[in-house]
Formats: sequence, C-alpha cells, structure tokens
Amino acid sequence: MKQDYFSSNNIKYIDYKDIEILKKFINPSGRIMSHKRTGVTSKNQRKLAMAIKQARFMGLLPFVAK
Amino acid sequence: MENIDINDRIYEVGYLLVPTIPEEEVPGNHGNLKELIISYGGEIVSDEIPRRLNLAYTMSKVVQNVKSKFDTAYFGWVKFSMASDKILELKKKLDIDSNIIRFLLIKTVKENTIAAKRFISRDVTHKRVMFSKETELKESVPINEEEIDKEIDAMVEN
Repeated sequence: MKQDYFSSNNIKYIDYKDIEILKKFINPSGRIMSHKRTGVTSKNQRKLAMAIKQARFMGLLPFVAK
Repeated sequence: MENIDINDRIYEVGYLLVPTIPEEEVPGNHGNLKELIISYGGEIVSDEIPRRLNLAYTMSKVVQNVKSKFDTAYFGWVKFSMASDKILELKKKLDIDSNIIRFLLIKTVKENTIAAKRFISRDVTHKRVMFSKETELKESVPINEEEIDKEIDAMVEN
C-alpha cells in the first residue's frame, strides 16, 4: 500500500506555485495521474487536481506535453 | 470586531506580467499592485517579486484589438487579507490592467503554503531532532570562531 504523500510530509494546503511537488503527479504527457497511481487520499487528490489545474492556467505546468 | 473577522478573508493573487516591461520596472509594477490592494483596505500578508519564467505554453492577449502572443512572462504573487465585498472591485481593476497577461485570484490560508524543498519522508520527529541539532551547531560556531581567532592572535604575537 502506498502512503499519502501529503499527509506523510505534513502538507495541509496544496499550493499551485509548488511546481516541484505537482510535477510528481503528472505523467510525461502532462496528464494528472489517477488516484490509483498516486495513492493520495480522495480529499487530497481533489485538492491536488485543483492545484495542478491552477498551475496550468498560470503557465507553470503544461496542458499537454510533447 | 467579530464582524470584521468574519468578513476578512485571506486571498492570493498570482499574476503574469507582459515580458515587454524592462526588468528594472518590474518591482515598480509589483509595488503598484500592492498599493492598489492596500487602497481597497487590504493587508499584505506575504508576496514575491515577479521573476521571469518560460511559460509552459504560448498565451495570447488582446489589447486594443491587437493580439499578442507570449512565451515568457514575469510571474509574481501577493497574499493579502481583504473584506469579501471589496474583492470584486479589485478583480475588475485587475481585468482592465494591460500589463497583466492573466491573473489567478484564489482563497487561501494565512500560513506559508510553500513546503520546504527537501523532505525526510520517514517521520517528522526524526526531522525535528535533526533541525535542533543544526541550530545548536550554528549557535556554537561563532563562539568557537572568536575563541580560535583570539588563540591564533596570541600565538602570532608569541
């Protein structure tokens, strides 16, 4: 069983500016990894998805990577 | 007093400035934005001066019927507290600003949200012990240096 990355690192608020963390949860083509692959709790997966989408809007992360 | 607390929320505005602005004027633009927030009764919690970055994709913005494309921009952010009824006025003001390619206005928390770069993923208690040791070392170093300097001076004089 994979542990929740955010609760094990004591991260309460997932920030869209923290690209280094968010990059761990996107696949090479830029898509958000599934809940099954990340092992993150449902609550944090929703927050994670939101943060990645906000980072994409600000041009920090790609919508599609080649 | 309680009413004020309820209405005051923590917000964060992240924004991209057009890359055509010279590097020296960027802090000025950032200051203007902070003044704008203060003028609406906001209180700055924390901020970061915009720095140039390569955008993940090309963005376009239409100013006066001219569409311009951007591959780089200055990204900066300000975290502030403001009454919830004033935030819409601020948003309207930011919409008009021609120097901003786009901005993101979100609700957030007062605490620092950017996590430390290096993690020790095993357990937190272990990490705390390590930090306390480091601080002890840092505290003891300057005293030692002074003592060593004195000793060296004494030896040189001899």
